[in-house]
Amino acid sequence: MKLRLSPQTLKVLDAFLQSPQEWQYGYDISRTTGLKSGTLYPILMRLAERELLETSWETVEEGRPPRHLYRFTPDGVHFARKHRSLGGTLLMGGAALNEAES
Amino acid sequence: MPPLRRLASGLLHTALRYASAETEEWARAMLSELDFIEGDWAALFWALGSATAIFRHSGRAGIRRFVDRMGNKGGEMNQTGKNAVGVAAGIGIGLAIAVAVISLWMLSRTYFPGFDAGRVPWRTWLLTIGVPEIVFIGFAVRLWRKRRPMAIGILLIAIMAGAHFAMHLAQHWRG
Repeated sequence: MKLRLSPQTLKVLDAFLQSPQEWQYGYDISRTTGLKSGTLYPILMRLAERELLETSWETVEEGRPPRHLYRFTPDGVHFARKHRSLGGTLLMGGAALNEAES
Repeated sequence: MPPLRRLASGLLHTALRYASAETEEWARAMLSELDFIEGDWAALFWALGSATAIFRHSGRAGIRRFVDRMGNKGGEMNQTGKNAVGVAAGIGIGLAIAVAVISLWMLSRTYFPGFDAGRVPWRTWLLTIGVPEIVFIGFAVRLWRKRRPMAIGILLIAIMAGAHFAMHLAQHWRG
């Protein structure tokens, strides 16, 4: 299974690593990382497909639609921690890398 | 509801209607976030980005299903399949660029008759072959490292356009 660790993906990993146990909203992640929805959601989809991220629906106030929530799975936390220091180097260089995950 | 927000909501509802089964949940997620975005312009940009993501993901899912139906039952597309799709996408992009340039050229002849490129050969050449070739090569160079098959598809169109131009010159050029 391949996951492209672009600088944008690393930003998302960092955002989740700040509080790995907490559920987060898509719009909040977008604001934290500065990523637009068109960039953020494909990354979230890829992470969820690889079971690095779990998703859930939250019901909020009446009259408002339920919101989708995201947080790392244990595998996701492990994956992000493993690549965080490497990610710092990549962000500085602005490069992307293909990481093979079995 | 302000018009911009209505437009954003309409766009995402349309995207949701056409989303593939795999993307539907994500499309709903993007739509539900819309209610929590402050600012109508921000909501519109959110919807535009989300709709793009939905259609791209749905398109990829469709291609994957098509390739599976064509005989690759392994689920994951093999490298040859990916390369073929990349080259086909490059050819599609190249053709779209060519059509866009030709359309612009035809429009310019209609709306700016004084700028009729037909009277000055070099201007015709610049608009019909020079500009597209520069765009093709620019795209190909940009994509070469990350999406080489797509770049090759675009270069194929560039070569075909160049060959067509050379043949045209050989037939019609009177010195």
